Amino acid sequence: MKIAVCVKQVPDSETRIGLAGPVPELDRSSFTMIINPYDQFAVEEAVKIKEALGEGEVTAVTVGPEAGVREMLKKDCLAVGCDKAVVVDDAALEGAEPLAIAKALAAALKRESYDLILFGIKAIDDDASQVGVMTAELLGLPHVGYIGALDVAADKLTARREIEGGVEVVESPLPCVLTCGKGLNEPRLPSLPNIMKAGMKPVEVVDCAALGIDAPSSHTTVKQYSPPPPRGEVTMIPADDPAAAARELAQKLRDEAKVI
Amino acid sequence: MPNIAVFIEQRAGQIKKVAWQMTTAARQLVDAEGGEVWGVHLHASDCDVTSEAGKHGAHKIFTAEAPQFARYDSELWTQALAAFIQEHQPDIVLVGSTALGKDLAPRLAARLDCACISDAVGLTWQDGVVVKRPVFAGKCFAEVTSTAATTIVGIRPNAFAQEETGGEAEAAPFGPTLDDGAARARVTAEETAAAGKVSLTEAEVVVSGGRGIKGPENYPMIEKLAEAFGAAAGASRAIVDAGWVDYSHQVGQTGKTVAPNLYVACGISGAIQHLAGMSSSKCIVAINKDENAPIFKVADYGIAGDLFEIVPALTEAIAEVRG
Ligand SMILES: Cc1cc2nc3c(=O)[nH]c(=O)nc-3n(C[C@H](O)[C@H](O)[C@H](O)COP(=O)(O)OP(=O)(O)OC[C@H]3O[C@@H](n4cnc5c(N)ncnc54)[C@H](O)[C@@H]3O)c2cc1C
Ligand SMILES: Nc1ncnc2c1ncn2[C@@H]1O[C@H](COP(=O)(O)O)[C@@H](O)[C@H]1O
Repeated sequence: MKIAVCVKQVPDSETRIGLAGPVPELDRSSFTMIINPYDQFAVEEAVKIKEALGEGEVTAVTVGPEAGVREMLKKDCLAVGCDKAVVVDDAALEGAEPLAIAKALAAALKRESYDLILFGIKAIDDDASQVGVMTAELLGLPHVGYIGALDVAADKLTARREIEGGVEVVESPLPCVLTCGKGLNEPRLPSLPNIMKAGMKPVEVVDCAALGIDAPSSHTTVKQYSPPPPRGEVTMIPADDPAAAARELAQKLRDEAKVI
Repeated sequence: MPNIAVFIEQRAGQIKKVAWQMTTAARQLVDAEGGEVWGVHLHASDCDVTSEAGKHGAHKIFTAEAPQFARYDSELWTQALAAFIQEHQPDIVLVGSTALGKDLAPRLAARLDCACISDAVGLTWQDGVVVKRPVFAGKCFAEVTSTAATTIVGIRPNAFAQEETGGEAEAAPFGPTLDDGAARARVTAEETAAAGKVSLTEAEVVVSGGRGIKGPENYPMIEKLAEAFGAAAGASRAIVDAGWVDYSHQVGQTGKTVAPNLYVACGISGAIQHLAGMSSSKCIVAINKDENAPIFKVADYGIAGDLFEIVPALTEAIAEVRG
């Protein structure tokens, strides 16, 4: 079975943005970059499927500057069981919208016939939740989103998909695109020897021209970033008498905040 | 002068609240800028939304009825909406950022090669659509513009208020051609949560518990308070990872993003990743025995006390106030 897993490098979830007012661009120079946490679930699932079948190959694919993503590919992909990696590095894709990224990924993925293509459900920087589904559409493949459990057979899969207030059981033929959420597995940590060995695994670097496409342009542009609306001061309610505090809070929520 | 199509999502004949919130927002925009609001509704059986759509601001309601719309199928629903968009060329298409909408909107955008902006909390028109959306899990907001003829905008549930200030909508049935052969991923079974349980992302009130509850045996205390509010019960990652509650309850950067009218955090410290998922809630209440806990920095009301005393008392007080 040939499996591809698409991973993105994103700023650490501890990152503080701390804007004082609107700015045209974020200063990203101080951001610590990590693998998108959801993509770790995708990587782990891909490796687990390969291990369970006892055969197969897992390719990690990312769009981003090669120098920036090299460490992530080594430590978080190749050292935990991916066999090789592909980097689409093209200056024209810097700051590109999800559809443009999906077009580049689709071009890279088309070169081989993968049975399964795994994504995270969303990247924790742009919070778009788009690239996986869009890539599925561009490749003409089915997609099962928000999967929390997965069972893969030779030519079909069964997945549990989380929806509001419940779970759907979805069956799909292969090849298929899956977007992975938390709860699916526990990503393993890379061991030191495996990180060393990962350095030997192949990493292919391509640009759009090498993929045979024009660099995709974006329909959308971020004009400005602004801080979240400020929150007012907190009103503290004395807790000495819990029952009285509870009554006071309930009354304030009804009469002052008008939320109940 | 934008024409705005609003996808009126139904599940088992039940209309999602976000549908009317979007219709209201669309109507406010066209009242200021010109243009029309078109509801688009796919359903399997007699589920007439014409008068509801009108009340909330739709000028026209396009409905397609087919047995295939009984359950969501990515391929068939995309076919239907793509055909509608190609025929009517709306400037903006609003789709709720629900589990279904997050599947449908990107597929539709990729098929039509048009713009797609998800999880919007603000929508204006300045010679083109301008969308405001939280990025970095709400740590900042981005203002996004589009050059595409059609822009699909995912709207975050509860970001806009629903109002009944519209009038009558003109009903316009349409019959998209559906190619059943194209359907591949199929829903074979559904497991719905216990009746009466409110879903986290749609709830108007969310009550969450964190490590301060000490153990899984105390989560029912949080659920009882949630019940008193008619709320959904959430959790910090700490207690999800500890296995005290299922992941589906997790609020935060790697959990659910919620923006209810009221968020009640009990025994949650307020780590940046937790705040990321709830800090745009309209009103925030924090109950924490540590008066220096960061959660109080985003709270509107705070009680610095022992949650084992406060939560049961609050459950009673809320039940009383809500009658
Ligand atoms: C990549 C990444 C992603 C993450 N994503 C998320 C996420 O999506 N959601 C999330 O929540 N976290 C997330 N986290 C974890 C986050 O950093 C915190 O560890 C977590 O939110 C802490 O949970 P907590 O507040 O329940 O626990 P703690 O930080 O341990 O806080 C417990 C609080 O309870 C209070 N308390 C204790 N006893 C009582 C009592 N009797 N009465 C009242 N108060 C009491 C304490 O004062 C304390 O403030 C993420 C972390 C990383 C690294
Ligand atoms: N630049 C990228 N390179 C590779 N995969 C990506 C990239 N951007 C997004 N993805 C994948 O698409 C998923 C959803 O991203 P997004 O639509 O940006 O929220 C991520 O979890 C990744 O699996």
